[in-house]
Amino acid sequence: MSYAQRQERSGWLFVSPWVVGFVGFLAYPVLASLYYSFTDYSVLKKPIWTGFDNFIQLAHDEVFWQSLKNTAYFSLFFIPLSLILTLGLAMLLNTKVRGMAFYRTIFYLPSLVPQVATAVLFLWVFNSEHGLVNAFLASIGINGPGWLTDPAWTKFTIILLGLWGGGNTMIIYLAGLQEVPQSLYEAAEIDGARAWQKTKNVTLPMISPVILFNMIMGIIGAIQMFTAPFVMFPSGTPAHSTYFYAAYLYDSAFRFHNMGYACAMGWIMFVLILVLTMLSMRLSEKHVYYGGS
Amino acid sequence: MRVRLSSKVMKPIASSILGTLFVAVTVALAVVAEMITIPPDYGNVTHVTYWEKWTGFESDAMKTVVDRYNSTEGKKKHIFVEFLPVGDIEAKVLIATSGEMPPDIAGLDTLDVAAFADNNALMPLDNYCNQYGIKASDYIPTTWSMMYYRNHVFALPTTPDSNALHYNRAEFRAAGLDPNKPPTTFDELDAVSEKLTKKDANGKYVQFGFIPADPGWWNWGWGYFFGGTLWDGKDKITCNSPENIRAWEWVASYSKKYGATAMAAFKSGFAFGSSSDGFISGKEAMQLQGVWMYNFIQQFNPKLDWAAAPFPHPADRPDLAEMTFADSDNLVIPAGAKHPEEAFDFIAFLQKQPNMELLCMGQRKGSPLAKVSDWFLNNHPNPYIRLFSDLPKLKSARTPPMMGIFNEYNDALGEAFDEVCLLQKTPKEALDGVHDRIQQVLDHYLRITKLRQAAGG
Amino acid sequence: MAAKVSSRRSVQTTVNQIALIVLSLVCLGPFFWLLSTSLKTLPETVSQHPVWMPNHLEWQNYKDAFMFDSKRLGYIPFLYYARNTIILCWLTVVGTVFSNALAAYGFARLKWRGREIFFVITLATMMVPFPVVMVPLYTLFRSMGWIGTLRPLWVPAFFGSAFNIFLLRQFFRGIPFELSEAATIDGASEWQIFRTVVVPLAKPALAVVALFTFLGTWTDFFGPLIYLVQQKTFTLSLGLQFYQSQDAGTHWNLLMAATAIVILPLIVLFFFTQKLFIQGIALTGLKG
Repeated sequence: MSYAQRQERSGWLFVSPWVVGFVGFLAYPVLASLYYSFTDYSVLKKPIWTGFDNFIQLAHDEVFWQSLKNTAYFSLFFIPLSLILTLGLAMLLNTKVRGMAFYRTIFYLPSLVPQVATAVLFLWVFNSEHGLVNAFLASIGINGPGWLTDPAWTKFTIILLGLWGGGNTMIIYLAGLQEVPQSLYEAAEIDGARAWQKTKNVTLPMISPVILFNMIMGIIGAIQMFTAPFVMFPSGTPAHSTYFYAAYLYDSAFRFHNMGYACAMGWIMFVLILVLTMLSMRLSEKHVYYGGS
Repeated sequence: MRVRLSSKVMKPIASSILGTLFVAVTVALAVVAEMITIPPDYGNVTHVTYWEKWTGFESDAMKTVVDRYNSTEGKKKHIFVEFLPVGDIEAKVLIATSGEMPPDIAGLDTLDVAAFADNNALMPLDNYCNQYGIKASDYIPTTWSMMYYRNHVFALPTTPDSNALHYNRAEFRAAGLDPNKPPTTFDELDAVSEKLTKKDANGKYVQFGFIPADPGWWNWGWGYFFGGTLWDGKDKITCNSPENIRAWEWVASYSKKYGATAMAAFKSGFAFGSSSDGFISGKEAMQLQGVWMYNFIQQFNPKLDWAAAPFPHPADRPDLAEMTFADSDNLVIPAGAKHPEEAFDFIAFLQKQPNMELLCMGQRKGSPLAKVSDWFLNNHPNPYIRLFSDLPKLKSARTPPMMGIFNEYNDALGEAFDEVCLLQKTPKEALDGVHDRIQQVLDHYLRITKLRQAAGG
Repeated sequence: MAAKVSSRRSVQTTVNQIALIVLSLVCLGPFFWLLSTSLKTLPETVSQHPVWMPNHLEWQNYKDAFMFDSKRLGYIPFLYYARNTIILCWLTVVGTVFSNALAAYGFARLKWRGREIFFVITLATMMVPFPVVMVPLYTLFRSMGWIGTLRPLWVPAFFGSAFNIFLLRQFFRGIPFELSEAATIDGASEWQIFRTVVVPLAKPALAVVALFTFLGTWTDFFGPLIYLVQQKTFTLSLGLQFYQSQDAGTHWNLLMAATAIVILPLIVLFFFTQKLFIQGIALTGLKG
């Protein structure tokens, strides 16, 4: 057997577990899901072909739109807020402050907490009668809102929950910031640049790929947001204000026995993620600076 | 030199020992992971698994009956019933049944029976009932009506429940009201409620007379108290009928009178069945509650001076007087259960009067059976057991609708109810919205059902 | 001039320091509330005037939360949850590291027909959100009789995943090819090269994959939610949610103690592997 032949054979042998995984746990389910989305199906009943019925039904389904709207609302506030806040934090940490490792640990800790635990914890911290937040607000003379009971506030509570656990994003920024060559800042200083000018002309362009990466991860994560609202607000209470897309999808499949409908929703989610990711790559093309490599 | 040599020899040995150990641990853990779910071998005893949603004293009561069965009839017939409390039971039973690993018996809520039956997730029990001589006349008619769906018996009751107005007699006295005269009409309820609502010096509520959204389990059902229904039993959603709108107008009137957000915030401090329960803590003078409430009062505030009475009715609808929601906890045999016959043997055992009364007494509820012993009524700890037992037998009693799509319907009503409570929508807007949406869901459901029938499945 | 700059700097530094302290307090607030509540008595949790720190530390809460309902169940649920979680973590970590290292080696260091196109497809699958495959996977596991067992949660780990393959491939490509060539000339097989040359040099990357797989499994909620049905088989995340939904709003002190039990091991782990963590996140982020 020649060297090339050996490589050929070993190559396939090495990737063979992944070939099985790819076909069995990914390719087949993706295609089957597409098929199911055109059927009425509930596992215990054989799928029957209903054409575009699920999609038509979805177009008229107020709850579907509501869940989409809730998810969009959450994403529109959460993603920019998280991108800016964690970048700010990372920049603060990137200055020569004392105890940097200490602060880094503190800001990172919340993102270690499992979402279920964060959700349970926030139910208590934001409890309007006995929670930490309203107790603190009361002590400075403010009558705190119903974080968990007032539909005007519930989504905001989840946004805060997301921000609290945003340490991952911050660390990724921090790593990016530390790779910005010090010489660039020195050059800017010689040109007499102020702090914000350095940020605008050196820092932001240099870490723009990191920002884009965090943004795309943010989009993918936000669209699939499930655990925290599911644990905190069963069925999206109050008034469906916290009924997120993924929660409705889960309910459709496992509470309403509408597996076909859930698949249709899954595919719409897939397409949404694809479109949004492409869009952010396209729109950012001009603004993202990729260094030497 | 020697050191290097030995380390060169040692290293592969050490690493191969480590590697073997590593693989061994992994394999061992995989085996443990398997064993977690493999049921042990029970020899010639048939092992029946029974999942129930209860964890508290209700669970203990059921356990007593299961133990009684296992030590008597079960022993004779070589059947052992394993009783397991399971949380989030509807979802778990559905997932397990779909996954072909169902329990042999499951305790389901009435509201779920139709949806499960529609999805082929339940075994019809008609033949077994005939075999064991279990028939409609053995039961209170309202209870029996909930076991029946699409001409089949799909469930048998464990404990039925009914609800009534619970009121705090001490608060009545403090407000100068007669503690022996609970309100009987909605107008009276509203008037009494106003007198029982108090604020502190800062204008913050410290006590409420009545909060329609608490405990919130019957938010979908207020229309029934005003003579409404949720559907016509066939193909029409009726949630926006004048009666239903009137009911929700009444709900909204509380938000208008007391402030929607203030009321919601006040309520959010409550936790049912604990010392911070609205009614038990005395912060809410009246509440629509079920027969079980007595037990929690006993547990967390036994000194509470309270009473139960039929819930009020609209003054112009005397025919609705003394209405209650008759509901029931039920036992079903999921489709694909491994031991349906043995499972039914236990269910039938439970349906016998002494066993059923043991259970219902333990769960502090009424009995679903038409015949009730004096022992039961006289020894029942709940001082209002006769009231709760009689209410479901009245003509005015209502049962939850048996609809395959009730989960969706209930969600939609729940959402709309929140919106009305918060005064974001008028009752008519909210209910029209629910009607339009759920009518669509129902139409779709009926269309698919027809399609399936045509396809022969 | 120099003095002016440096004084501006020191003002800036002070402002930064203050901002960091304030934000740290905000960040730690919930942890503080978690610990303080977990050590309160029940009346203290719902008292009219908030109790910041309980007078008497109620350690019993931890025991009560851990043993919740054990009398009725005949076993200690949190002990079972912990056991199941640890088993799953071990198996998924082993499976993930093993299968992805193999696949990454195949993609990074071997030449075979179809490699490029298959790699592009592999990358593309990273975009598939779980809900798309949720129902068919459920059906698939059902047909294999796996629902209700732990298998759906660990067996797939032995068959690779796109993201980890990608990560490890990047790392493997950075290992000098001369080493492989030298070994080939010595007559080593690809498996030997993989084991004795590449894997030892790739330890940091493998450790990162292991660590994040561990974290992912420990915190996973959706998988256990749809595949597990009996309390005995629950993981900590699912068990905590179950506990919360059972005991909603009644015993906040116990619930917080249970939450602390779920979180604590992760925090301990973090303190032991802090460097690896930070490097790992930076790695996953930057190379993406």
